Amino acid sequence: MGEEAFTDISGKAISLNCQSHSSFCREFTVSSSKVSIGKVLVYTCSVWLLAYTVFFFTENTAVLSSAILITLVGMMLHIHFVKVDHESLLVIGSLGIQVSSSYASGRETTSFIEMSKIKDIVINEAIYMHQIIYYLSVLLKDASDPNAVSSVVPLFQSSKPRMNCLVKVYKSCQEILSKC
Amino acid sequence: MVLKVFFPQCCNRADSGLLVGRWIDGHDAAVVLTVIHYPFIPGQVKLYVQQMQAQSRVELSVLGSWSLPKEGQEGMESFLRDLSTIFPQERWLQISREIGKTGFHCQVLQRDQNGRAVQQEPKKKKKKEEEEDGEAEEEEEEEEDDEEKVIFVHYEQRKVMLSQLHPIQNGVPDPQADPPSELRQVFQTVAHSDPLFFMDKYDDGPLKSTHWQTEGREASIIVELLKHASVPVCLLVSWLLSVWTWICGMRIFSLYPLRFLSTKLSTCVQLSYRTEHMRTLSSPKAAAGHTEFMRKANILVSFLVDVALGMLLIWWLYRENHISMLANTLVPAADHVAKELDELLQWLMGAPAGLKMNRALDQVLGRFFLYHIHLWISYIHLMSPFIEGILWYGGLSACFGLTFALSLLSDMVALLTFHIYCFYVYGARLYCLKIYGLSSLWRLFRGKKWNVLRQRVDSCSYDLDQLFIGTLLFTILLFLLPTTALYYLVFTLLRLVVVLFQGVLHLSVDFINSFPLFAVCLRICRPYRLAEGVKFRVLSEEPGTALHLLMEINPLKGNTVVQTYRTPTYSCYPKDSWAALVKKLFVGELIYPWRHKTTKTD
Amino acid sequence: MGPDSAPDPAVPWRKVLWERQPFPDNYVDQRFLEELRRNEGIRQYRYWSVVKEAGFVGQQLSCVAIFITLWLYMEQGRLSPETLLWTSLVCALLGYGLYQALTSQVEPGCGPRTRLADLQSATIFLSFTFGFSPVLKTLTESVSTDTVYAMSAMMLLAHLVSFPYAQPSPPGSLSLNAALFASVCLASRLPGALHTFAMLSCALLVFALWPCLLQRLRENAPCQFAGVCLGVCIVGVGGLGFQSPGGAVLLALALMSVTLLCPLLLVRLQRHKDNIQGPWDEAEIHEDLSRFLH
Repeated sequence: MGEEAFTDISGKAISLNCQSHSSFCREFTVSSSKVSIGKVLVYTCSVWLLAYTVFFFTENTAVLSSAILITLVGMMLHIHFVKVDHESLLVIGSLGIQVSSSYASGRETTSFIEMSKIKDIVINEAIYMHQIIYYLSVLLKDASDPNAVSSVVPLFQSSKPRMNCLVKVYKSCQEILSKC
Repeated sequence: MVLKVFFPQCCNRADSGLLVGRWIDGHDAAVVLTVIHYPFIPGQVKLYVQQMQAQSRVELSVLGSWSLPKEGQEGMESFLRDLSTIFPQERWLQISREIGKTGFHCQVLQRDQNGRAVQQEPKKKKKKEEEEDGEAEEEEEEEEDDEEKVIFVHYEQRKVMLSQLHPIQNGVPDPQADPPSELRQVFQTVAHSDPLFFMDKYDDGPLKSTHWQTEGREASIIVELLKHASVPVCLLVSWLLSVWTWICGMRIFSLYPLRFLSTKLSTCVQLSYRTEHMRTLSSPKAAAGHTEFMRKANILVSFLVDVALGMLLIWWLYRENHISMLANTLVPAADHVAKELDELLQWLMGAPAGLKMNRALDQVLGRFFLYHIHLWISYIHLMSPFIEGILWYGGLSACFGLTFALSLLSDMVALLTFHIYCFYVYGARLYCLKIYGLSSLWRLFRGKKWNVLRQRVDSCSYDLDQLFIGTLLFTILLFLLPTTALYYLVFTLLRLVVVLFQGVLHLSVDFINSFPLFAVCLRICRPYRLAEGVKFRVLSEEPGTALHLLMEINPLKGNTVVQTYRTPTYSCYPKDSWAALVKKLFVGELIYPWRHKTTKTD
Repeated sequence: MGPDSAPDPAVPWRKVLWERQPFPDNYVDQRFLEELRRNEGIRQYRYWSVVKEAGFVGQQLSCVAIFITLWLYMEQGRLSPETLLWTSLVCALLGYGLYQALTSQVEPGCGPRTRLADLQSATIFLSFTFGFSPVLKTLTESVSTDTVYAMSAMMLLAHLVSFPYAQPSPPGSLSLNAALFASVCLASRLPGALHTFAMLSCALLVFALWPCLLQRLRENAPCQFAGVCLGVCIVGVGGLGFQSPGGAVLLALALMSVTLLCPLLLVRLQRHKDNIQGPWDEAEIHEDLSRFLH
């Protein structure tokens, strides 16, 4: 219950919100930090300075207007497709698991995995750049061979919480999965 | 296991009655489809359920009872329990709702061996207590003790009925294969039980029920009328098609030059393609499955859009005498191109870009090409009086659709730039000959030879005269190569420009032909019709109470829609990769449209 | 990294791997160096015999010099193509007669080639060269003279480097082709088509046919062979001397170093040869470089 503060793999603060709707239905929400105004300012200023330098030499006003356009469109694309505000995992016993991530613009992508397709939830490790990170993933059953794993769905892909956060989510999930 | 009850949203405020639906085997789930109200005669209900079962081929049954007591309707508990003996079931759901509260109470009666109903889990549940009073709190405390094991999943009956879960599984399910997943079964159950939903609430029958029912009867009448009208249209089109097929099947069209020509002209290809489309559309049988229906609808919509665009083009062309304007600009344009080519050749015959070319060969090649241009331009001038007529009649083809006009344009471009194609072929052949000659003579120069049997280079001792003549030829070819290569390069670039233009035309034709416009419109206007899956929202906010979930439909992604419903067409994309294309250009093999297969021999 | 010390000398060590022994894997005993052999199969060279063999290299060098001299004469117009053609014809006939005479001494009548085949080859050479000479003349018109000279020099060098001195008959493909390429390049700089034809015929004679005759001579008449080599060298130096004395001096120095100095060095340095072989496996690098060539 309630918010708990954790850090992600690069040390930024994230918060985990566990909400228990019932004994077999829990929702975990990992919220990452908001877009910092300083970063936006830095990017905007650099683009505009560059545009102004070009304008200074070419004396073409189209450069300035295109710089404004590029900044606006870039920001819009960033908050619509790149910046993930929070990711949530809804585990409903005997029904399935729902993974959703909502972007800073409010766009939300959701996918639901039925319980009959789920084999297990595990914590896996992966090599990411120059470090080894842990991530939570759902193993899917192979339709032909019930013991085999057909594919892996990684969870919390964009916020990438650290191990201590993952362990907490993992334990709660296993509690529900083992009951059903 | 947790019991899951899929409950339609439209039955939330239904009067008390019987729940009719289906138990889903193996998943411990029940799908409620409709509520039959009091008063009823049990025999009639049984008969009705049997009838519906026969019509819809869904294992329908009476699931339990539903009570929403109104003013003065108290003490029905025992009556509801007695109902379970009338409709013998393994499990009997007893769902009730109190006025002013949104939470449902659910009791599950399990039948024991004696055939008596036993109350197994006496439970009450509650959702969103609107009026928090002391009684409710007591009940909550009671609930804390024994765990709730029921989930209510609320669904919107209309959307679930109309939506199609992806990936599509067509045909009769294989009994050996795994049974379809739970959600798929829910969707199938709701979709197949539409006979249940025909009963109107204003009908004066013996039974009254609550479920989703259509409100747009008038529109559906229009649809029915259209369906009936489409039959003679289909018959007419298929008769026309059979006549057309008969004409195409005549012997004169299967003669070699005509058939060869028809495979190369994009208009003919488009014609055969459209014929195939119309054949699909005009088949009198109704579409068997969802895929076929979507295919037909996509073809129809893209055909209509195509014709509409073609009409727009005709309207523009014939409005202010644009045709003659086009015709008048065409001949000067051809003259201009010829003049430019002439200048290009003159430049090549000098010392282009300071390159050192073999003067004699340069002159020969340049004169040869100049003569070709001369021939070409006189041919164009001979044609010029007829060009306007050709354009006028050609423009009429746009009434078959924009794709025809574009294909015709592509063919005309191919015919008008035939000289460039010729130059390209001559240049490529000469260059190819030189490259192959040089590569084999270079092996001779080093005293090696290509072994055809083992596909490798072996060393070999040549005779004196072979060596002498080989070296002589090698030297000649080596010194003449830059001249040929330059001509080849220039004409290949020209040819590539033409091919690029034609490729853009073909791509747009292919786009119009294959773009699933209907599916995309459906995705935009009725997102629930094409479902990728579902998503759930939790409705209850307090812990400890029963779980109420809202099932919403997750629409298919845009690119998945296009990929799934794309009409298969002849592909005009280059089959080679870019690297293969560059290699072909380098060794001088002919690129599009005539493919040339070579085997390495020496 | 010497071998580890032996723990127990009582048990005799055997050079086998299939038996468990109380020695470390890299152990060897005293007998290891007994099998060492030095300079196996060495041949002791004698100075004058080496000089005689090196004479072939020298005469090939001066053949190239003679060809260049002839070309220079042709280019300056001091040698008419007719003269060159007639001389070549006479030389070819004489050489052919000599060749036949030398052949019949060894194996009478069972040579692989008949006279008719020889005549056929000669016809092909002459007709092709004659037919192509106008084309060849215009071939390098637009290429600058420096490029042509550089290319010819490279090709003649390649000819000298890749010439099979041990077995010059049949001629090696690369050497002959390089020489012919160079001669085509040079011949295309001459003023007329007939010049080109004469130059190419001459090149054929010098680079293709002369090594065959010389090889035959080396097999059958070793005494005359040395004389012929010396004669060719003198002719080369002398011919070049009329054109450019500096070039002649350079050629003479090169010939001296190839025929006299290099053999001396070889014989002297033979003493220092120390090649050891033993019961060990040497690592050999077999790198297949042939894939870079085609």
